[in-house]
Amino acid sequence: MYPGTLDSIVDLFEHLPDEEKRSLLISYADSADKYGPTEGANYDLEDIRKDEECTDTVGIFLTVDEAEGSASEFKVSLGGEVQTLTRAMTSILCRSLAGATPQEILDCPADFVPKIIGAELVRQRSQTVYYVLSRMKGAAKVYLARKRAGETA
Amino acid sequence: MSDDTKFSAYAHPEKLVSTEWLAANLDAPNTRIVESNEDILLYDTNHIPGAVHIDWIADLNDKTIRDYVSPEAFAALCERNGITPDTTVIFYGDKSNWWAAYALWVFELYGHTNSKLVDGGSAKWKAEGRELTREKPSITNSTYPVPGKRDDARIRAFYHEALAHAEAKKPMVDVRSPGEFSGAVTHMPEYPQEGVLRGGHIPGAKSCPWSTAANPDATFKTAEELRKIYTEDLALGDADDIVAYCRIGERSSHTWFVLTYLLGYKNVRNYDGSWTEWGNMVRSPIEKSV
Repeated sequence: MYPGTLDSIVDLFEHLPDEEKRSLLISYADSADKYGPTEGANYDLEDIRKDEECTDTVGIFLTVDEAEGSASEFKVSLGGEVQTLTRAMTSILCRSLAGATPQEILDCPADFVPKIIGAELVRQRSQTVYYVLSRMKGAAKVYLARKRAGETA
Repeated sequence: MSDDTKFSAYAHPEKLVSTEWLAANLDAPNTRIVESNEDILLYDTNHIPGAVHIDWIADLNDKTIRDYVSPEAFAALCERNGITPDTTVIFYGDKSNWWAAYALWVFELYGHTNSKLVDGGSAKWKAEGRELTREKPSITNSTYPVPGKRDDARIRAFYHEALAHAEAKKPMVDVRSPGEFSGAVTHMPEYPQEGVLRGGHIPGAKSCPWSTAANPDATFKTAEELRKIYTEDLALGDADDIVAYCRIGERSSHTWFVLTYLLGYKNVRNYDGSWTEWGNMVRSPIEKSV
């Protein structure tokens, strides 16, 4: 149903009691920095934005290997004020969507988010948990648009 | 400038503690350190040793009606966090202390005024590399008598009061970002559930974003700087009846704290219904500047 290995992660979270779910989310959040961009590396698409009132700075870096069936890889830079849930979702998405195509990412439904986070944590002012997915979809959309424009040029 | 020098120039220096003071007084008697955040998992990630967590939704807001918890629920919250009416509650948190100021304000609604903020909140404590832990403190329940009633009238404004205030052309401070004030945006990009049907601001309100009172390290600006912003530029007078508002009441709690305790204005109310109420209310008068 979901691209990459997202299905198995969703399945894992859905069967965890709330306390273990929180611990695992914190563990994912702790590892978010592993998915930061590599200095000096070239990416097919870079999109860095700062929103001081909501989410701080989030940078999306996309690489697509067309020789490998359009396999995508995301790197994400996160400002210091980015919420823990958003950091956790960054780890989960970078890991689970690795290898998915830009079109698969664009088509990925967002309904897995509450399945992972749990109803208790999806609430007012925690909606930034959807933020990284929406930014990744945005990057995939721009990548595909540029690719189509290149093909028709 | 030292923290002591900076604090002594405020109207109520006793309402602030520095991170340095707190680090040296983590076990101060009759004191409870409370973390309040926007980030729901931040306390679980790490916090100041001995701090408890009070959540703005789960602990302070009624589950059904848009209002604060009952006096009974407030007393129970204090009891499970080891707080008595004599306890000095020291609040700190993320987002430049938005939610710490909000929690402090809500505590005052129930008459608990023995409270302080940590200047700079979580950001400064962490930037200074001070001790953090994931260990939750073991708390012995206290006894907290149920407050008679909430003292809403003194520091809280409701819609009809905010409307009368605007009609009387009394000072009203809109602490949201310029885009929200002008009406260019009807919700912040990632807070769509706080959207409104109309954008703009309350007629006569002056724009003064909460962040003008804060330094980049999340500390408050000096008394001199704050007087320039609010007393000179906004022309707020000592005897003025002032209402501050934002979107849901947390950023305006920050400004309420600045006006009340750092500058000493005596009549400041937080309109916590704020723009999510005003911008959705049928026939609310609205000004736009776009």
